[in-house]
Amino acid sequence: MSEPILEVRDLKVSITDKPEVQIIKGIDLVIRPGEVHTIMGPNGSGKSTLSSTIAGSPTYTVDSGQILYQGEDITAATADERARKGIFLSFQYPTAIPGVTMVNFMREALKARRGEEVPAREFLGELRETLAKLKMGEEFARRYVNDGFSGGEKKRAEILQMGLLKPDLAILDETDSGLDVDALRTVSEGVNALRRPEQAILLITHYERILNYIHPDFVHILVAGKIVRSGDASLAKQIETEGYDPILKELGLTQEVSA
Amino acid sequence: MADTQITTDLGVYAEAQVSAAAAARSEPGWLVRAREEGARAFAATPMPTPALRPWKYTDLSGHTIEAFAPDAAFAPRVTGSAPSGGFAGTIAAALTDAAQATAVEGALGSVVQGTESKFVAANAAQWTGGVFVHAPRGGAFEAPVTVDVAGTTGAIYPRILVVAEANSEVTVIVKNRSTEAPLLVAAVVEIVANDDARVRVLFDGDWGASTVEFTTLRSRIGRNADVQVASLALGGHLLKQQIEALIEGQGANSLIRGIALGDADQHFDFVTLQDHMGPKSTSDVEIKAALAGASRSVYYGITRVETTAGGSAANQENRNLLLSDRAKADSDPVLEILTADVIRCGHGATVGPVDQEALFYLQSRGIDYRGALKLLVGGFFASVLNDEAFAALSEDMLERVQQKIVNADL
Repeated sequence: MSEPILEVRDLKVSITDKPEVQIIKGIDLVIRPGEVHTIMGPNGSGKSTLSSTIAGSPTYTVDSGQILYQGEDITAATADERARKGIFLSFQYPTAIPGVTMVNFMREALKARRGEEVPAREFLGELRETLAKLKMGEEFARRYVNDGFSGGEKKRAEILQMGLLKPDLAILDETDSGLDVDALRTVSEGVNALRRPEQAILLITHYERILNYIHPDFVHILVAGKIVRSGDASLAKQIETEGYDPILKELGLTQEVSA
Repeated sequence: MADTQITTDLGVYAEAQVSAAAAARSEPGWLVRAREEGARAFAATPMPTPALRPWKYTDLSGHTIEAFAPDAAFAPRVTGSAPSGGFAGTIAAALTDAAQATAVEGALGSVVQGTESKFVAANAAQWTGGVFVHAPRGGAFEAPVTVDVAGTTGAIYPRILVVAEANSEVTVIVKNRSTEAPLLVAAVVEIVANDDARVRVLFDGDWGASTVEFTTLRSRIGRNADVQVASLALGGHLLKQQIEALIEGQGANSLIRGIALGDADQHFDFVTLQDHMGPKSTSDVEIKAALAGASRSVYYGITRVETTAGGSAANQENRNLLLSDRAKADSDPVLEILTADVIRCGHGATVGPVDQEALFYLQSRGIDYRGALKLLVGGFFASVLNDEAFAALSEDMLERVQQKIVNADL
């Protein structure tokens, strides 16, 4: 079996500004190259905290445990160091940055990821190609980063960056939320078209529908900061039909689950 | 006793010395008298103190102008080709041309009175070289006039007079540069924009690290005329620019834009005035400062809409981005609305740190902290940098701003 790309060991995470609030309460997770892992769970279970923490967000602080990436302990690494190594986070709510154009931003990002200047011609070629795969017009690149983007545009812009930066691990945080059926198909197909076979995916979602496009090898159910169950794709199907209640009852948990 | 004291300390700033210098330059009588009046006002006016509202955050106590010896050889270099009947050159040269000399005599000191403040009085008495830009009636300069101000040490007194006759058009770019030696710059810029004239003045400010600048710029704007003033402040130790618009004509427009990027112990102080007198006149001020190190920005601006200025619209904004926790900004926009008949009159001021979410977003793509700030500062300035008021400045402005971030104390 190939070496893990990501290994999370007994990870406990709290909010930096509120150290008394621990959100992740001991998670273990192993992801190998090429695998697709899905994390599902009710609102407030810690899905986004886990994804932000793996990406290095300063909003969260690791209380204990380790994050290993390609065998290296990156628990203390900054977000930009992690990204240059090949971790990519597709944000649930991408931040608008007025005044900074997508094209300038993406060129800087690609330069950082590759560790060298990217010739303008080469960059623009790759940008055009990637835009086309996502059915996005070239004018998109001249707009300010996420500024005034519709929900669908924001998610496509995230996948556009994934396609350009070619990460080894892409964390897709609710990339399906807020998308209608057509937009979901475009974004999902974009993920598949831009994904390299060895690229691993950690997909955070509420719903099973995106899994019709991006087929998971493993499904993990996160409740109250812990993975309470892991399985294959059939586990997601079970959640879709029965909801989280049966699992919560079985485990004796009483967390309120919103629809 | 006081008189003796002043006479002793004034040195070359004393009236007798000023008269002698003017005579040595063979200046016309009206100009010699204006300089003497300036010298008397200089002697009689104390240095401004923080008790005066525009000087609240720029404390000059312990400093004197007299400590800086005027550089008598200073003259800005003026590059530009005027349309027929117009002029672009030094005031000294304009005075040798009868028609232009009349225009200079009619306008010099008419917008900024030589007695109105300590620094203006020093300039009125001491200015050398001078710049006169004259756009003739209905005429347009094909390219911007460039004024290169190159200071070395001591004190320089740049004096710029722009007269735009009816329905004329001109753009003036003032490039401020100096060495690392201590230098005092006290500049006065007067703009007369007659009916339907379009005038743009841009400061490209990149002084050496020990330069202190005090500029008074004022425009008098006629009917349907449009005056745009833009200032880029990168260099210098202390910079205080007072940019004022007397919006006299019906339908006249004033636009003021400023960008300051501070580092180390740089101090930038902007004072603006939009004085609406003409009905249906408009004005818009936007000053943005990004501050690294222990740098500081100060903004104090007044929008005044007089009783005669019914139907006017005004906007005034000052935004400050703190790049370090030692940086500081004070912002005070003031509205004085004296008529009930205004279309809109807005003002806004913000002082805040870098958006942490935006920072994380950029860093999550592999861009390091400094690189992310470079992008964010560029983005913060974009609304002003991309403004047409700055269009005449070289396209490398964003690059120069970002280059300063690369080396800044963040």
